[in-house]
Amino acid sequence: MIEQFQHRATTSFLLWFDNFLLRKGEAFSNQTGKFFNYADDRLDSRYKPYGSAYKQWVTDSSIPNAVVPSGVHISGTFVPRSNSLIIDFENGRVLASGVAASAPITGSFSVKDFNVYFTNDSEDDLIVERKYIQNSRISSPDESYISPYDQVVPAIFLSSDSMKNDGFAFGGMDTTKINMKAVILAENAYQLDGVLSIFADSYNENICNVPFSGHPQTEYGDLKNGSYSYANLKSTYASNTSFFINSVNASKLTDKARTTLTDNLYVGFLDFEIHQQRYSRQ
Amino acid sequence: MQLPKDVQKIINAQIPKLLRVPFEKALQEKFETLKKQMIDEFLNHPISKEISDGPTASNSSGCLGGYGNLFSFIGFEEDDEPLKPILEQLQATNFKYSGEIASGVKFSIILPTAKEIFEVTPMPWASGRSWAQGIESGISGLGFYLKLKSKNSRSGEAIQTSVKGSARRFKNQQYISVLINKYTNLFAQLK
Repeated sequence: MIEQFQHRATTSFLLWFDNFLLRKGEAFSNQTGKFFNYADDRLDSRYKPYGSAYKQWVTDSSIPNAVVPSGVHISGTFVPRSNSLIIDFENGRVLASGVAASAPITGSFSVKDFNVYFTNDSEDDLIVERKYIQNSRISSPDESYISPYDQVVPAIFLSSDSMKNDGFAFGGMDTTKINMKAVILAENAYQLDGVLSIFADSYNENICNVPFSGHPQTEYGDLKNGSYSYANLKSTYASNTSFFINSVNASKLTDKARTTLTDNLYVGFLDFEIHQQRYSRQ
Repeated sequence: MQLPKDVQKIINAQIPKLLRVPFEKALQEKFETLKKQMIDEFLNHPISKEISDGPTASNSSGCLGGYGNLFSFIGFEEDDEPLKPILEQLQATNFKYSGEIASGVKFSIILPTAKEIFEVTPMPWASGRSWAQGIESGISGLGFYLKLKSKNSRSGEAIQTSVKGSARRFKNQQYISVLINKYTNLFAQLK
């Protein structure tokens, strides 16, 4: 199947959301740390993984003061990204070939305050059923790597809920209304209030319409062209009809309901209604 | 015989004042009938009926595919009266004199908007979300699970899979927005 409107909406929303949170909320911290070798049977045998203590590093170089790594230090020497060194921003690690498992690797990077995921899971699955690994952004002295692939908290889970077309203008132009939801799982009330406040103010924001091919990451979690800037991406696709946020509603799980959850997370919800005027039948 | 223009002008200027009381009386009657019709329609809506039947009701509205019931699905407490704030808003519907027009008077209808109703119908587990709006746009089974989890954690039971399945089939329905739009138009047509 070729790319459809909903696919573009999802890609565009995800990239916008990540940028908005990092830019408006400065929701990241700069870290320097050791990387730890571990076994990963999903990985191509050419590469050995070396994981940091944090998942989801900042990829967007348009975020002021964020450190987007272009390489790591191996045995004290800076080694830039190459075919032998892949930076997996998603899992917070590097994949190296031809490097000894015991080689000391260190690096600097910015870690997002919240892992951002796109999901099809329902709210009850996310909040009640799942058990999460906490990947606190506060450094601990007995630092080790964080396992790849599993979703960890603090996190924000985005999902698209429904889509509907309403007539807008003569000639067949419709307003396409998409409901997007975010479930926020935070470590404390400060974090949660921060995210809700940032996005409650996103009302009337424009979202750049980015196609699938504009997504900046590879299957390994590295950057397609070695760097990514949301500001540049917006310029590239400036001629595409934007989406805009018609309404956004922020709410929190009541404290009474929260206490029934075993992992003691602070839970919030964002309900977005996103519009775009388009000729849906052409 | 035609009255002089200045006399006609004076008489025309007095018409609205003279007509206000009989017009208001006539409008009052039609208004109350329509208001009662609106409230009855709200109370007889399948969603309202199912919710007002409480936690032991069957899923007569069909929005849960016939399983469970809305009251428990949304997560209300047994002594909650979810319809009460909506009813209060609808009962506050009124009209007021708002000035003169050529050869008559004008009244404004004060009717709650759907947004105002959504603001007074919070989810029992997330006060910023409206259950009435959720009926139209979709509700997750979170309230149901949270209540079940709270109950089961006290009794040490796990959530049963059969119960889980029953809370996954919410089908959106038209509710408050359609009702308010319909009666906004009907009230505007009152003469």
